[in-house]
Amino acid sequence: MHLPDGFLDTRTALLSTGVAVAGVSIALRQVRLTMQPRRVPMLGLAAAFVFAAQMLNFPVAGGTSGHLVGGVLTAVLLGPSAAVIVLACVLIVQCLMFADGGLFALGANMFNMGVVSICAGYAAFDVAKRMTRSEAMWATVFAAGFGGWFGTVAASITCAGMLALSGMAPWGLAFPAMANIHMVIGIGEGLITGLVTYAVLRSRPELVGGAQGSRAHRWFAFAGYSLLISIGLAMFVAPFASPWPDGLEYVAHKLGFESRAGEAVLVSPLPDYQLPGIGSAAAATAVAGLIGTVVVFCAAWGLAKWLVPVIGASKKNASTGN
Amino acid sequence: MNTAIEVRGLSYHYPPKGRLALDNLSFSVAADECVAVLGPNGAGKSTLLLHLNGLLPERPPAVPQIWVGGEPLTADNLDRIRQQVGLLFQDPDDQLISATVAEDVAFGPQQFGLDGPVLESLVEHSLQLAGLPGFQDREPHRLSHGEKRRVCLAGVLACKPTVLVLDEPTSDLDPRGRRDFKRLLQSLPGAKIIATHDLELVVDLCSRVLILDQGRLVAQGATVPLLSDEGLMLAHGLEKPHSLLHRHPHG
Amino acid sequence: MHRLSPRIKIAATFLLVAVTMGFPRHPDALYWLPALVLLVLWPLARMPLGFALRRLLMAEFFILGIAILTLLAPESTPVLLSAIIKSNLCVLAMLLLIWTTPFHEILGELRRWRFPAVMLTTLALMYRYLPVLAEESARMQRARASRTFQRKRGFVWKNLSGIIGRLFIRSADRAERIYLAMCARGWR
Repeated sequence: MHLPDGFLDTRTALLSTGVAVAGVSIALRQVRLTMQPRRVPMLGLAAAFVFAAQMLNFPVAGGTSGHLVGGVLTAVLLGPSAAVIVLACVLIVQCLMFADGGLFALGANMFNMGVVSICAGYAAFDVAKRMTRSEAMWATVFAAGFGGWFGTVAASITCAGMLALSGMAPWGLAFPAMANIHMVIGIGEGLITGLVTYAVLRSRPELVGGAQGSRAHRWFAFAGYSLLISIGLAMFVAPFASPWPDGLEYVAHKLGFESRAGEAVLVSPLPDYQLPGIGSAAAATAVAGLIGTVVVFCAAWGLAKWLVPVIGASKKNASTGN
Repeated sequence: MNTAIEVRGLSYHYPPKGRLALDNLSFSVAADECVAVLGPNGAGKSTLLLHLNGLLPERPPAVPQIWVGGEPLTADNLDRIRQQVGLLFQDPDDQLISATVAEDVAFGPQQFGLDGPVLESLVEHSLQLAGLPGFQDREPHRLSHGEKRRVCLAGVLACKPTVLVLDEPTSDLDPRGRRDFKRLLQSLPGAKIIATHDLELVVDLCSRVLILDQGRLVAQGATVPLLSDEGLMLAHGLEKPHSLLHRHPHG
Repeated sequence: MHRLSPRIKIAATFLLVAVTMGFPRHPDALYWLPALVLLVLWPLARMPLGFALRRLLMAEFFILGIAILTLLAPESTPVLLSAIIKSNLCVLAMLLLIWTTPFHEILGELRRWRFPAVMLTTLALMYRYLPVLAEESARMQRARASRTFQRKRGFVWKNLSGIIGRLFIRSADRAERIYLAMCARGWR
């Protein structure tokens, strides 16, 4: 999902930089208003922490391995606004110190992995946690795991939208491919997010959860991020998913990109004309996504409820065994 | 003789109410004196040092318990006190926060409103004092442990403190690093308060010793007699230093 | 090139990447332009081949990952080819910038551009503590490995999550001490 340069066209890169900057600005305002000065150094340390955690490889089947991205984990530990800033800084350092992720794609990466993944993932975490109606440890662990998965999938969808808008691949291909792959990858992210949340909760529960701020601040953040993600969806996803084929042209017209209309042919607002059956693939993916969400939700719930006491118990046994 | 720091009836416990971390401490340090604070781990040494700089308690108390150069430590003059009391932390990695040495040494003076060429020459001078001339553009993560500690000291010296407060300044330095750092401390003027387990350093540097145990000041007095008292030392988790092995406390 | 002002280097990299991005979306003679610029600058910067190739290989992983995706659409092959060439050129341009400009110089430049203060503090602290945390993480892994005799995947996962959890706790504690140390030098 770490987009390099060269894949996005200039228009998409600029649009996504715009929404990314807006997202980071909301986060900055939020942090300025609600975070105690005492916690400011924590942002820098958390950024270093995310980077260091990303370097740890988890073994997956067949000799391959994956690693944490850490957006939702940071949001669970420090609050979503702090997490947006932390992830933005991680991406800046990866880009300007390691050439990892493109310079013009920086905004796109920030929007996908910073804003969308964190806000969608944290919202999922919040909803899931409320649904358990429990303050027990397993509830937080389950919600964090589900949030981690959801955030990963959400980011892959806007990422697919950006690729499609740039004309790299028709939406009918990009969306199913990205979403399906990340529904699998997200399981790893969710598991690690849940396990790490559990590890921190067990020894230092007071470190979990960020500054809340007043009700008004929370509402501002909620409204701001929701609006921003809606704009993102409208720009990167709606042109393809909407039933009106001229959606993209309309947006392009509004934003003054008519001159680039020639290129928009490549974007192919109606990809199913070129590759029959692909339109239904997108629809199938959407259905699969819904089913996947329900399945992962239930699985995470069960796993957390079963695993948290088991790991805790094995810990106890081990210590008495010594 | 001028007093650099005076402490009267200082008590403190960490927020979830537990046992006292500091229990009714009173002592004073003269303007050119070097005093050691000794005691086992958890005796309250670091907690005491954080108080001297006004970092603890989180809000200075209404009734002052600490005076620096005759001035009471209150919420109003916290900045002035922090400038006068230079605190060197135990782990240089906690104190050394900037991307380059020059930026880090400049951090303190900048907070007090200095900049431009004045600041630059102050940084150069402080590095010179700490024995690291020309280190301005080095990056902290490429320095040795001893060098990091000296940069921290330079950063403290740049604030021009009247009292230096040092937390375990020689822990995890190799013998040469220890020797160099000791010589460096000897060359610096002003009052010094050193919390340490390094008793040989105390014998060489400090004229007076305070012994803390469980937050209480259990003994204070001139270095050699106190450290030669084997019974006292063993009772508080310390031991008689080798260089004093053949001395008798009252001999 | 190392001594050139970071502002010029950053601006030049931006320009090079922007121009490359703006080129037509099929392999074209124009692509030689940034390639030639890079070929001239490379020896001037004395960038070692090994460094560039290693980093390029890391980037290639992501590039090809996305490229495979587009391969599924047969009509976009020229688009795909051009994207691969473009992104390799851009990565090389970035590598030249990184090789010649230490990150703290880039930070200084961002400061001059009035980047938000919170971001600057975060970036500076991150840059400073990255090696410290990486070292801590390596130490914890060694300590775990020295008394781990199981190779079961579930166990490794639990182990690694434990390390990440501890790493976070240590970062939080260190952040607290850093805050105190900053206050001790007059920060508010």
